[in-house]
Order: sequence, then structure tokens, then C-alpha cells
Amino acid sequence: MNVERAVSLLAAWLPHQRWFAGKNEPIGAVRTVAATSLREADPEVWHLLVEVVQGDRREIYQVPVSFRDVPDGRLDHVLVGEAEGRYAYDALHDKDATAELLHRFDAQDRVDGLSFHTEPGAELPLGEPSLVLTAEQSNTSLAYGDAALLKVFRRVVPGVNPDIEVHDALTRGGSEYVAPLLGWLEGRWVSPSGERQEAGLAMLQAFLVTATDGWALATTSVRDLYAEADLHADEVGGDFAGESQRLGLATAEVHSAMAEVLPTRVFGPVDLRALAGRMRARLEAAVVTVPELTPYAPSLAGSFDRLAGLGRPVPAQRIHGDYHLGQVVRTVVGWKLVDFEGEPAKPLIERVALDSPIRDVAAMLRSFDYAARHLLVVDHPGSDQIAYRAAEWADRNRAAFCEGYAKATGHDPRDDDVLLRAYETDKVVYEAVYEARNRPGWLAIPLAGAESLATGTGL
Amino acid sequence: MTQEPALPAAGTDPEWFKRAVFYEVLVRSFKDSDGDGVGDLRGLTEKLDYLQWLGVDCLWLPPFYPSPLRDGGYDVSDHKDVLPELGTLEDFSRFVRVAHERGMRVIVDFVMNHTSDQHAWFQSSRADPDGPFGDFYVWADDDTGYPDARIIFVDTETSNWTFDPVRRQYFWHRFFSHQPDLNYDNPAVGEAMTDALRFWLDLGIDGFRLDAVPYLYEEEGTNCENLPQTHAFLKQVRKMIEDEYPDTVLLCEANQWPADVVEYFGDFAAGGDECHMAFHFPVMPRIFMAVRRESRYPISEIMAQTPVLPSSCQWGIFLRNHDELTLEMVTDDERDYMWTEYAKDPRMKANIGIRRRLAPLLENDTNQTELFTALLLSLPGSPVLYYGDEIGMGDNIWLGDRDGVRTPMQWTPDRNAGFSAADPGRVTLPVVMDAVYGYQVTNVEAQSTNTSSLLHWTRRMIEVRKQNPAFGLGDFTDLGGSNPSVLSYVRAFGDDVVLCVNNLSRFPQPVELDLRRHEGSEPVELVGGVHFPLIGELPYLLTLAPHGFYWFRLVRAQREAVA
Repeated sequence: MNVERAVSLLAAWLPHQRWFAGKNEPIGAVRTVAATSLREADPEVWHLLVEVVQGDRREIYQVPVSFRDVPDGRLDHVLVGEAEGRYAYDALHDKDATAELLHRFDAQDRVDGLSFHTEPGAELPLGEPSLVLTAEQSNTSLAYGDAALLKVFRRVVPGVNPDIEVHDALTRGGSEYVAPLLGWLEGRWVSPSGERQEAGLAMLQAFLVTATDGWALATTSVRDLYAEADLHADEVGGDFAGESQRLGLATAEVHSAMAEVLPTRVFGPVDLRALAGRMRARLEAAVVTVPELTPYAPSLAGSFDRLAGLGRPVPAQRIHGDYHLGQVVRTVVGWKLVDFEGEPAKPLIERVALDSPIRDVAAMLRSFDYAARHLLVVDHPGSDQIAYRAAEWADRNRAAFCEGYAKATGHDPRDDDVLLRAYETDKVVYEAVYEARNRPGWLAIPLAGAESLATGTGL
Repeated sequence: MTQEPALPAAGTDPEWFKRAVFYEVLVRSFKDSDGDGVGDLRGLTEKLDYLQWLGVDCLWLPPFYPSPLRDGGYDVSDHKDVLPELGTLEDFSRFVRVAHERGMRVIVDFVMNHTSDQHAWFQSSRADPDGPFGDFYVWADDDTGYPDARIIFVDTETSNWTFDPVRRQYFWHRFFSHQPDLNYDNPAVGEAMTDALRFWLDLGIDGFRLDAVPYLYEEEGTNCENLPQTHAFLKQVRKMIEDEYPDTVLLCEANQWPADVVEYFGDFAAGGDECHMAFHFPVMPRIFMAVRRESRYPISEIMAQTPVLPSSCQWGIFLRNHDELTLEMVTDDERDYMWTEYAKDPRMKANIGIRRRLAPLLENDTNQTELFTALLLSLPGSPVLYYGDEIGMGDNIWLGDRDGVRTPMQWTPDRNAGFSAADPGRVTLPVVMDAVYGYQVTNVEAQSTNTSSLLHWTRRMIEVRKQNPAFGLGDFTDLGGSNPSVLSYVRAFGDDVVLCVNNLSRFPQPVELDLRRHEGSEPVELVGGVHFPLIGELPYLLTLAPHGFYWFRLVRAQREAVA
């Protein structure tokens, strides 16, 4: 079997991969965009970029493949296919192939259109076996021992990769709140339509040993509170406010670092009116999809009117863009922020657009609300007592987060109430649409948020 | 019949303390042999069989010296004698000999920094400034010196200086105003203290717990803690005992952050040339905090901040001791939290700590008590048990200062808990009598006959610990894992690899552990010997009961012989 034969097998294999975005449409064709040989000895390793055509849609995917003459039972679950007595596997699961990738980083190799880069002074865990982590949805990440993590971006969008760009900038700036970048893989190719294109393809960073994500920690605290009938949020053992405060501080430090090393600008009255206009348009569209929002809509729109008329300049900078408790991890040396790709569903240009850091703050405040209420909708529907506790938990931790943020910047985000409320409202509107489409059972969470924003009982 | 000597020959086991289980016993509260209501050395000697049965390796005796007893005996008025109500020097020698015959060693508290104001040295110093002891203490004409030194007993003292009406000068004291600090800038003080150390070593003891060592020297412009002169003096002491008394241990009490305490071990490259052991203070309040928060991070964080020790050194760790649960080594937020969580009655507070015993701190919850003890016996360091905690004794918060946790040991349901034959009104401190922790229910006799008791459980766990050298000698790797409520770590010493998994939550919990480094090993549970499924490449799933824990030995699977 050769590369072309392997590519021909992908049409049947791709729809079964978790990271493949086009599952609900038949594949018209899979074409090779670039193929680079990384290893000739068995297993032979090829780095492939392929274009998947589905109707009008054309997407580029990254699919490294290894070929073996003898089938390897441990790789059965990632067999792409068999032909002419050779077996093709997803190379990211093949330890011989992943060791080759690490060696290429170490040598800072350039081969065909691929360039492997390393940060100055980075130490690579050569010789450590890799293991693919199971949690991920849209990419494939593998850990080399407990020293390094290689995140391979499966769906390739031409242009600067924000995750690599931000990690690179923050690592060079010495930020202690992200996992340091060790290296990255860049690719250049000519598209089937004849265009020269390039993109960041993979990112190698320090592995955060013993880390747990913020969502798991926060919901542990919430469960603890729900188990107490008569104690308040500040009285139970599992109180999370200390962690929330430290998280606020870490967030502010990362924002400051990003403002220092990446571009900034200022939103003037025109920008703010345009921003408010986009928010209002999203609300109007949302009311159509989620009629339950209708009673709150006039009041919610009021937040956007106040934003449009704010009458003072607002600093804008690169932000996280898809910030929530699942994007922060607690390690033994404090909180770290991960995943600076921005919201995956948005086009690249919007993901790297400058915005107020208050958008991230608002998104995290919404995430606290989710953490407080999600068990309510799942396990305790209709319990007023627990709903009251949930509100208490959310209020306490949202306030602690803002206090921590203020501790680092000297500026409490709650003082920017017009901005904060507009961004939070925009987020609630987005959540309502998302839940109505994907998890109707959870719609109650953003609706409760919309109600409290509309009636002014929030922060 | 020839009998094996209970202890290895002198000079052949210099690192015994790394594997040892320590037991802190207050002579005055353990066993009264003569019916005067006060525990004594003869009474303690009678109970050595019990301590041997429990599995204790080394006894730590807080001060038993002559003293006006205004600070639990830490106000020593004669460094070379025994307080008469506790016994005589002959009683002490016999106690040490009998303990050694049972394979147990003995270390004693030694107060280096200060004496009682009743000490002959101080009496001479205040009366005769030009006499031989005139310069034994830190005197000054005013109270303005060393302003950067903090006041330690903030709820009783307002200054580190007190005016002496006899000498008409101020004297320096870091603790109570009846405990003047010795003046180590005077070489005669160092010599007198070294002489006193030799006195006890000649009686056969195996080491000292050196009280309050960070404060020996003072220097203007500093906070008067951890000064280089203090370290130099401790190095001299270490050299002396190494040359003259092999197999002797120095355990220092320095209530500081681990990064500062590590200075007390001395030169890293030389394997340590100062103290052999030091208490790891911050780990204890963080165990309490982690369980209350149901989060492993309070413990994981402090372990990550703990520096590597020189090769000949060891931490000492404890859950409770004769002092309050010290909260100096937590941040202000954390201290407020600990107070609200664990000292619900203001009487439970003392200085900046909490005066309670283990069982009442945990509301007598068996699962939590076992979890805490399992952590004590498996985290890095030599565990120090506090007398009575092995049967879950209670405290008496109505007693003054720290006496609430120093009540008589509860041996039987008989009069005075079998501690003393005296009239109950004459007993040193009242025996605990409440309905939960009272001696009628909580006592050694009852728990000895019940094999499911806390006492038997503790004995069994000590035994398991001793079968696995990794607990005492192994390195420590925090495994993290998917669940923030589960603390998992590996202790490894050569091919003895022990995996400890602890559920800090009051709810059942699952955890997935990354055990790739041990792929192919088989976990064997240490208490019951049950074999668990082989470790593969994928995350290893375990489920734990509320406050449950596992100790596994990871056994490398034997490769099948090729035919």
C-alpha cells in the first residue's frame, strides 16, 4: 500500500473519528494536499494533509499515518485500513511514529513544507513513550511521559494559529499562568485551487502534571453544598471562594501579560455602537430560536443600548475568547489557563479579533453560574431550596473571582458594570441558543441567567 | 537460651530514625505508680509492654525536669535533674534500660533557648550582674532593642522585653515573660548547655527534640530567627554527638516554612551536618484543610513546595501533639477558615492555634480518623503519634491553656481510668468523663479485647508500614489524577513501590490514575493481600468509599519463563 491508497481509505475512516467535524454529511472526495515522508524504516511514517470535500464545503485535515508490514494488535482500534498486505494506522497512536515526531522537533527539522520549531532552551523528553489522551473533542493530544504534551490540530485553518501564537508570546514573556510552549510545527502547502497557504499544525508544551480542570473542582464544591440542608455557601467545608479568588488573580495576570506582548487598541464610540449592534442582532435572532427569551428581551436589549451610549473609550486587546471553568486547570503551583484557540465555531478572523478583557470575565462569571446550576437541572429539578443554595454559591464565587481580578489589576471588573452586563447578556443569549439546539434539558440554566440579568438581580 | 539484643549494636544503625514510628508521651499524664495523682517514670516503665505491643519504635518525652510548671515543664529550672513528683534519676536510667530491652529508643525534649526565671542561673544573673552568671541572659537598659522580632504568644504577652525590678534592667524573652532567653553570645552558655546534653546522653538516651531552636541568637536589624550563629552552634552540637554518641538523633522544632526549616539540616552535599530531623509543620493543618475542602490541593501544594532533604535526614510529621494545632504556617485566609471549621467554640482557640485532640476535631468519625492516620503513616517523614490518639481519646476544653489535650491516659473503665489509685480529686488533671470520649467507654482495656477497635487497627497499620521500607525511606511522587478529591501518590525505595490512594471526600469517588510508569505491575493491597488487576497503558480506574483509602504494593509481574 502506498500513500495514495491510504488516502483512498480515509473516506470510510474519517466519519468515525471524534475530531472529524463533518459527520452529518456524506464525503464527496478526499484529496491529498501535501504528503511528507518522515520515516522510511518499518513502520513507515507519512505526514498527510488532505482536503475533504462535502458538498460545497472543503476542509483540510491533518492525518499522520504509519504503515506496518505486520499487524500490531495494540493498534487495532486505530487501523485506517489494510491493502496489499500492509496495514495503515493513525500514526499519533503509534509509539514509533510519535517518537519520530519528537526527534524532528529536537533536530528543528525542515522537510518539504513542514518546519519543526523549538523555543530557546526547551528540553524535550526524548525517549519517553507517548500516550493519546482521551478527553479531547476536536484535536488529538498526546502526552510524552509526564513531561510534554503534543497537541495536534486536526482541522487545519490556514493562517496564524492563535493557540500557538498566544502560548509563544506568553512563554517568551515569562508568564507563570500557562504551560510553557516547547515547540511548534508549521506547514506550508499549495491548495488544490493553487493558493499558497500556511498554518500552525501542532504545538508541544510542558505537561501540567497532577492537574485537574476547574469544572471538576467547582462542581465538587457545589455537590458538597447540595448535600447540606442547612448550611450556607460560606459555611460548608467545600467552599470554593478561595480558589475562585486565585483564579480571578491568574486571569488578570494573563490579561495583563497578553496586553503587554500582543497588539492592543482602543474601542471608540463607533466601535462600541457596532459591538452593541452585533449583540442586539444576536439577541433578535435568538428570540426566534428560543421564544422563552421573549419576556426578557426588552430589558436585555437595554444593556446593549447602554453599551452603545457608554461615551468613554474602552481598551481592547487579545483575549482568551472561549473562557470557562473547563479552560483552566489547577496544579500544585496554582491555576493555569489552557487552550487559546478561541471559540472553535467562529471564523479565524473573529477568534483573533481584539476585544475587551471584560468579555473573558463575563464568560467566566457565566461559567460559575453553570457550575452552580447544572446539577440542579440534572439531579434536583424543581427543588427551590437547592436553587437558592445554587444562587448563593454562584454569587459568592463570582464575587470572589472579581475580587481576585481586582487584586492583580487594582481595578474591579464590577466597576465596569455597563461593559460587564452587556458581555454577560450577550453570553447568556449565546448559551440559550446553544442549549435549545443541543441540550434542551439545560436551557433552564441560561434562562435563569437571563431572568436575573433582566430583573437586575445579578452582580 | 540466648536472646537477640533488642537493639542493634551501638554505631551500626545511624539511620534508625528514618524508619521509626515515634510516640509522644507525657510522663505526668500516662501512668501514676505511687498513687499521688501524678504520672511518673515508674508508671511509664510499667506500660512499656503496651507500647511495644502497639509497635512504637521511639518514645519522645516532653520535659520532665525540675520546673515551676508555668509552661508545661518547658520552663526548666534545672537541666540535669528530674522533677521530684515524676521520679528520680535512677528511675529515669531504669526506664531507658527497660525501653531498650524492648527494642524501643528514647528521645527527650531539651529546651535550649530559655530557662525558667526560677533557674539558679537567672536568680544569680539578676542578683549579681558581675557574677559568673551575670551575662547568661540578654539584658538591656531599655525595651527598644530588636524591634523586628515578632511576639509569639500574642494572647498573653505584649512585648519581648520585661523589666526586672531586682536588676533594674529589661530582659529578653521570645516566649513567656517568666522564661528569659539565654545569651548565646556568651560562650559559657553554649558550654553549659553542651555539658547538660552530655549528662543525658551518658544516661543512655538516643537523642533530643530541641525545643524552639530558631531563636537562640539575637541580632539588631533582623527578626532574630534562623540567624547564621544559631546554625553554627547547632553544627557544633551535631559534631559533638557524632564523635561521642553514635546513633543519636537531633530533632529540631522550628515552626517555619519547609524552605526555611531545611536550613536546619545543614550542608546538603555533606548529607546534612546539623539536625537529623525536623518537624514538617505545615503539612498537618493542610491535611485537615484538604479533607474539609474535599480537595487534594492543600496537601499537594505543600508537598510540591517541600525541598529535597540531605541524604541522612528525615521529616517528622504529626497530626496532633501536646501543643495547639498550630496555624502559623497557613495564610491568614486559611487560618480564619480553620478557626471557623475546627474551633466552633472560642475556648478551643489558643494563641493562633486550636487546642483539640484528633478524635474530637474529627467529631469522632471512625472513617476520618482512619484516613488521617493512614495519611500520617504514609506521607514522607517519620510519624509521631500522640499518646491516647490510638484509642481516640477526647479533650477537655474547659481546662486552661493547653491542658485540655494533656488529660490522663485512659487505661480501664475503673476509678481514674486506671491511671492512678489516688483520690479522684487529687489527680493531676481531671480524667475525661463525657458520654462519648469518657474513660468508661474509651479506654485501652476495652479496645484491646475488641479486635475491630481503633487501637487494633492502628497497631495493624503500624505493622504494615514496617513491612514496607518505602514508607520510611522512599521518595514521593504525587500522581494527580482525574478527581480533585482523591490524593494519590507513590512511595518508592528500590523495588519496594507503594501506591497510596486517599479519598478526601465524604462521598464515594472514582479516580483514574496515570500509572504508565508501572505498566505490567500488579497492585497488591497491603492490609488484606488482595491482588488487583494488572496495570496497563490506559488510566487505572479505582473506586473509593467515603473517606476510604488504599495502600498497594506494586509488584513487577514475573515474566513467564521461555520454554
